[in-house]
Amino acid sequence: MLKAKHVDRLMTGLMIGSAMIMAGILIFLLGIILLRGASHISLSFLTSNSSSFQAGGGIKNQLWNSFYLLVLTMVFTVPIGLLGGIYFAEYAKDNKWTSFLRSCVELLASLPSIIVGMFGMLLFVNVFGWGFSILSGALTLTIFNMPVMIQVSEAALRAIPNHQRHGSAALGATRWQTVKTVLLPAAFPALLTGMILSAGRVFGESAALIFTAGLTTPNLHFRQWHLFAMDSPFNPMRTAETLSVHIWAVNTVGIIPDAAQVAAGASAVLVLVILLFNLSARIIGRMIERGIKGN
Amino acid sequence: MLTLEKPKASVTPIKKINPVFQVKDLNIYYGDTLAVKDVSVQFPERAITALIGPSGCGKSTFLRTFNRMNDLIPEARATGEVIYQEWNILDPRLDVVALRKEIGMLFQKPNPFPKSIYENVVHGLKCAGVKKKAVLDEAVEISLKQADLWDETRDRLTKSALSLSGGQQQRLCLARALALKPKVLLLDEPTSALDPISTAKIEELLLELMKEMTIIIVTHNMQQAARIADYTAFFFQGRLEEYGATAALFEAPKVERTKQYLSGQFG
Ligand SMILES: Nc1ncnc2c1ncn2[C@@H]1O[C@H](COP(=O)(O)OP(=O)(O)OP(=O)(O)O)[C@@H](O)[C@H]1O
Ligand SMILES: [Mg+2]
Repeated sequence: MLKAKHVDRLMTGLMIGSAMIMAGILIFLLGIILLRGASHISLSFLTSNSSSFQAGGGIKNQLWNSFYLLVLTMVFTVPIGLLGGIYFAEYAKDNKWTSFLRSCVELLASLPSIIVGMFGMLLFVNVFGWGFSILSGALTLTIFNMPVMIQVSEAALRAIPNHQRHGSAALGATRWQTVKTVLLPAAFPALLTGMILSAGRVFGESAALIFTAGLTTPNLHFRQWHLFAMDSPFNPMRTAETLSVHIWAVNTVGIIPDAAQVAAGASAVLVLVILLFNLSARIIGRMIERGIKGN
Repeated sequence: MLTLEKPKASVTPIKKINPVFQVKDLNIYYGDTLAVKDVSVQFPERAITALIGPSGCGKSTFLRTFNRMNDLIPEARATGEVIYQEWNILDPRLDVVALRKEIGMLFQKPNPFPKSIYENVVHGLKCAGVKKKAVLDEAVEISLKQADLWDETRDRLTKSALSLSGGQQQRLCLARALALKPKVLLLDEPTSALDPISTAKIEELLLELMKEMTIIIVTHNMQQAARIADYTAFFFQGRLEEYGATAALFEAPKVERTKQYLSGQFG
């Protein structure tokens, strides 16, 4: 018979082992992507238009599109996600209706992004007639991201102990006043971290955008101040291939001779940006936490 | 001594002072279980009343009826009457927000908000719609002085309240409640998480505050009740067993159960 002590040691070993496998895979993956892409990242790669036929195209427009889509998506997602999270954490009674709503959110959060993309194409591209556009893409990404945002907000609020709610209520605060002046500020670090992490997910998303924001991008002119001009960077009705869609496109439907290099470079940039999101989520979250604790 | 009949509760009527609360036939349920049973009692104005009794006897539940904090517990339900001024506190139409401004509460564990000391003190006032900085500033100074915290915090009002010690945090919570100029202060074991020196300080403050407001305090600490309370109510299994002037209740309890509890036979 195995002694409890040995079992303990064995389990500890297994846990350390799996943690190391995970870290190993991550480092290996990042290493390969960054090493292969690094040689291709240059100022001109980041600041020139992509090309359709010849070698030497850049990713300027795709990079811009990714950020612009991200910002629009977050503008839609954050308020809805926050309100939904507040509802579930603070207002919803524990009943069948609530658990039905919660199941809906969970289901929506677990839908494959390609399905969300198909739905976005049906609704925004075809029914609403917005075509392949930033708006269609951003709203599709909103559907993709909103349930996650709701869950993040709910979890952040639930993590605040009840004595805070009671303390505020005992001072004559209404429920909304408590939410606004006590709970949201206290949940802010967790909310911000969740938001930045979900931003990374949105930034890297491709499947949901292929059928909604399109596979092409006009060559943007950053001095074009006519909002609805086709080459205006801010035009929400134009097509907008993003960085991760570009990676997919050059590898599958593209005919440029340097597809492998462009894909490697673009992948490295994508990974770097997401890495940056994750790091800043940690650092900012910790900074605010320290600010609140104060001394 | 064995008796088959349940001894009758001994409630010495308090005549000479105006009652703040008149509780009549109060029952409080959590779902189907009765946590407070048939309590009828009057609490006097500008005095300290202590609620004592073994753990789980319903002291906190009873205390939370006075500012309707039981509303925050979905399965809690009360029947009977609690008359305060001309209102029945249990009336569902009552404006609980206004009620809680008059009847402040201090909890077992200090629960300052993770904000600045200043923001903690003005929280109730701001929620009540007070915006003028001069008014808020003055309230901060007055209430921190009342809670004997002004000297320690006057130079660091913008610092986080979480940077204070436990005892200071509890006095901040007191100041926060006092900023609303309450007529009644409810305290649920306010010193049980504090060291003896912080405890003594809070007790001293309560004795001072008693001159202006009514104080009802739940405590597990018999010495504390004896030290500061004018009246004491002993609860057992949801019932009010005995109530009267503290000295009389401690020296010559009329109910057998009180005697047993005070002599430490259970608790
Ligand atoms: N939220 C709740 N839901 C269900 N039952 C509860 C709830 N809160 C308290 N009770 C029950 O009601 C009874 C009275 O509880 P209460 O907290 O009022 O006792 P207490 O006298 O304050 O005890 P303690 O001295 O331990 O604080 C207990 O039996 C307790 O289990
Ligand atoms: Mg209690």
